[in-house]
Amino acid sequence: MKYLLPHCFKKIGSIIAPVGFVLWIGMQFGLVTKLLIFLFGESSATQSNSSYHIVNVFVAILSFFSFLAGIYFVTFSKEKVEDEMVQRTRLESFQFAALVQIIYIIICFLFILLFKDPGEGGLMLFFITTIFLFWLCFIGRFNYILHIKIIRLSKA
Amino acid sequence: MKNFVREERTKKELTQVQLAEIINVSRQTIISIETSRYTPSVILAIKLAKALGKNVETLFEVERSD
Repeated sequence: MKYLLPHCFKKIGSIIAPVGFVLWIGMQFGLVTKLLIFLFGESSATQSNSSYHIVNVFVAILSFFSFLAGIYFVTFSKEKVEDEMVQRTRLESFQFAALVQIIYIIICFLFILLFKDPGEGGLMLFFITTIFLFWLCFIGRFNYILHIKIIRLSKA
Repeated sequence: MKNFVREERTKKELTQVQLAEIINVSRQTIISIETSRYTPSVILAIKLAKALGKNVETLFEVERSD
């Protein structure tokens, strides 16, 4: 596995991914604007509306890319001890994630064909969830097997 | 495949962590092998046998279902 990053990236990724996600969700609900109004006042908000908009866009880009980078770091970083069992678990988790993604795509296509036109926003949501479902399934299964299931087996 | 890794490890008074450190694998790998969740490669089986001072044949036993 020559494409894997050093183990320290996993810690960095597990910090910046949730921070980026929370920040992005917060931005979507207008919390950044509310924070700016709280800090600099309502009147200032109307006067410098464009600068508030720039801050919002900047936060959106920063949070989204830190979430993406975090996911990438968590997925593609080595474990503390990287051995054959870990590599096999990683491969199985990739297969599992790919299977889940295919099933999700089939179900979504059937839903779109049979029930309704999703529109541009719906399609965008479909593509984003398709991508993230793969990574989240992989991260979830890999870490569950390695850090929860096997340790439970040992205790049992 | 049946194995006697746990029995031999306890005879040698080694913990899972100690054995893992000797053969340079994770503790999870030792647990997986002991619980027959994972069948090690030939290289790892030889390393395990060396660490426990046994032959590979005495440490691992092929079953009919294998």
